[in-house]
Amino acid sequence: MNGMLLVAGREIRTQVRTKGFLVGLVVTVVLIVGITLAPKLLGGPDSYTIGLVSSQKLDVPDGGDIEIEWRSYSDEAAARRAVLDEDVDAALVGNTRVLSDGKIDDQLGLILQSAHREAQIQSAGVRTTPLSMESIGGDTRYDETRSQLAFMLVLILFMLVVGTPMMVAMGVVEEKGSRIVEILLTSVRPWQLLGGKVLGLGVVGLINLAVVLVAGLGAAFASGLAVDFPPGMAGIVAGIVVWFVLGYAFFAAVAAALASLISRQEEVGNVLTPMTMTMFASYAVAFYAAKEPTSLVATIVSYVPPFSSMVMPVRATAAEIPVWEVLVSGVLMAVAVAGTVVFAARVYERAVLRTGARVRLSEVVRSR
Amino acid sequence: MLEISHLRKTFGGVKRALDGVSFTVGQGEMFGFVGANGAGKTTTMRIVMGVLQADEGEVRWKGGPLGFAERRRFGYMPEERGLYQKMKVADQIGYFGRLHGLSPEAARSAADELIERLGLTERAGDAVEALSLGNQQRVQLAVALVHDPDVLILDEPFSGLDPLAVDALAEVLQERARGGVPVIFSSHQLDLVERLCDSVGIVSAGRMVASGTADELRAAAGGRLRVVVADAKPGWAAGLPGELSVENGRDVLIVGEGDDQRILRAAVEAGRVEHFGVERPTLTEIFREAVA
Repeated sequence: MNGMLLVAGREIRTQVRTKGFLVGLVVTVVLIVGITLAPKLLGGPDSYTIGLVSSQKLDVPDGGDIEIEWRSYSDEAAARRAVLDEDVDAALVGNTRVLSDGKIDDQLGLILQSAHREAQIQSAGVRTTPLSMESIGGDTRYDETRSQLAFMLVLILFMLVVGTPMMVAMGVVEEKGSRIVEILLTSVRPWQLLGGKVLGLGVVGLINLAVVLVAGLGAAFASGLAVDFPPGMAGIVAGIVVWFVLGYAFFAAVAAALASLISRQEEVGNVLTPMTMTMFASYAVAFYAAKEPTSLVATIVSYVPPFSSMVMPVRATAAEIPVWEVLVSGVLMAVAVAGTVVFAARVYERAVLRTGARVRLSEVVRSR
Repeated sequence: MLEISHLRKTFGGVKRALDGVSFTVGQGEMFGFVGANGAGKTTTMRIVMGVLQADEGEVRWKGGPLGFAERRRFGYMPEERGLYQKMKVADQIGYFGRLHGLSPEAARSAADELIERLGLTERAGDAVEALSLGNQQRVQLAVALVHDPDVLILDEPFSGLDPLAVDALAEVLQERARGGVPVIFSSHQLDLVERLCDSVGIVSAGRMVASGTADELRAAAGGRLRVVVADAKPGWAAGLPGELSVENGRDVLIVGEGDDQRILRAAVEAGRVEHFGVERPTLTEIFREAVA
């Protein structure tokens, strides 16, 4: 155990000290914060300031997210200056004219127009009742947010679940190719070496994930977007972490086993092809599941390891999935992880000292 | 005592790498392992270190079987050098010390001591990849020594080192041997092996063709009588065994076996005898003879 922790410690220190790690973190944070804030930056403003000159405030109906601040001016000239200086978005003069710098904002125009109409009707003594809106379908309030979250999740999981096992593979080949492994294996057992590497790089992956989550959630709360979060957000976040751990453990074990067959970095891409194809397939289905979380294909694949490690968390984010479904899928994945880890450790142990030409997997499996 | 007995190893069912190699190395003994490329030195060392499994035969340490726990106390320098290229020298040596079970403090002080001892003080904070090959070799050696091993197995530790580094390394190895550690190293520098080693093993085509102390090997190889005669009468050696040649205007007679007293009398009669004595062959000559 001690040997494994030493190996893990070295992996973490080595990765965290590289420039690439820090640069990667900064880029991810900027990207995530950017994506989180984008709808807010690109969408129209949700508060306006209106100047008033010998006018009354208009009664803007509640219910929208629109806030209007009223500011009085003594005469029209002052109001005009305020409009041109962009102190106010528009100015209402004598309850009849609206001044703006260029064409008025569409939304603001509609609001003012309807509020004005309402005021006139009311002053004529007619009582009006607003339309009441009612959904007879499911609760769709959170659908949009859910699918946005799911898309981001697909991206994050793909980056981390693909990238981290790749580091495991490169580390295994580095040690095998340079024969350090011959010295290492006189002081630690193969499972300690492999376990330490997978554990250490997994921690690095979790650090990345934590930074992404904190940055994303932080930006969402800071910008007020968090009010749109669906209920059970804490569960969704916890689920992401658990699914990342499962997916990473599976693919890292496969990457280590495959990488132990070769001795040169140039061969890494080639030997990992079956694994990367599986990852891309998972990615494709997960992407689809973000859009159609309850479709038959997405539902079935969300139970099949290792695809489930990417598809299920995305589905559970994009739609409300009963907890038992997620648990069943999680248990299946955990069983697959356990089996794969045992198999991978065996392959690694037998292949990692066989330097030179690429070792065939079938040969390793058959040897005693 | 490290006992290597009857090791056999075949690669891929065809190439016989080891064909019954046996030798023993006692406490504090320095054993030089020589042989042509591909003779089986590296394979033997890899089997001792558990990197390879022997098909037959076994390695015993202090009379018992050699397992992981015992090997963990061995120091190993493989033929192909392996270090983390991007890791700093001091960190790297310390890391291997920790893997061998040293406490953080003990690992650091052992690393510092070896760094100073091997003349790496100025490079301690550099990444290994920034070092010259000779310096990388010193780091590799430090990695093998850091945990104060019970046994040292070094594959070609001297290759690629400058004469000063060779001396520094030789001194370190002798010191460890004096401390009771069996040291096995392979080398093609036979003069070095002859100078440093208590015993020598010559391996050829997977077999140990000769082993023993350097003196034993020389004695076993037999002496040759060398007679140098100045101003000798022509034809004096006609009735004698051996080969006659001329060096620097003097007749030189080399005799493998023969009646030395008769040869001496003939030489004295023939002219002025400048040299008469039995010569031991050098290790290089024994080696050539053994692997031929």
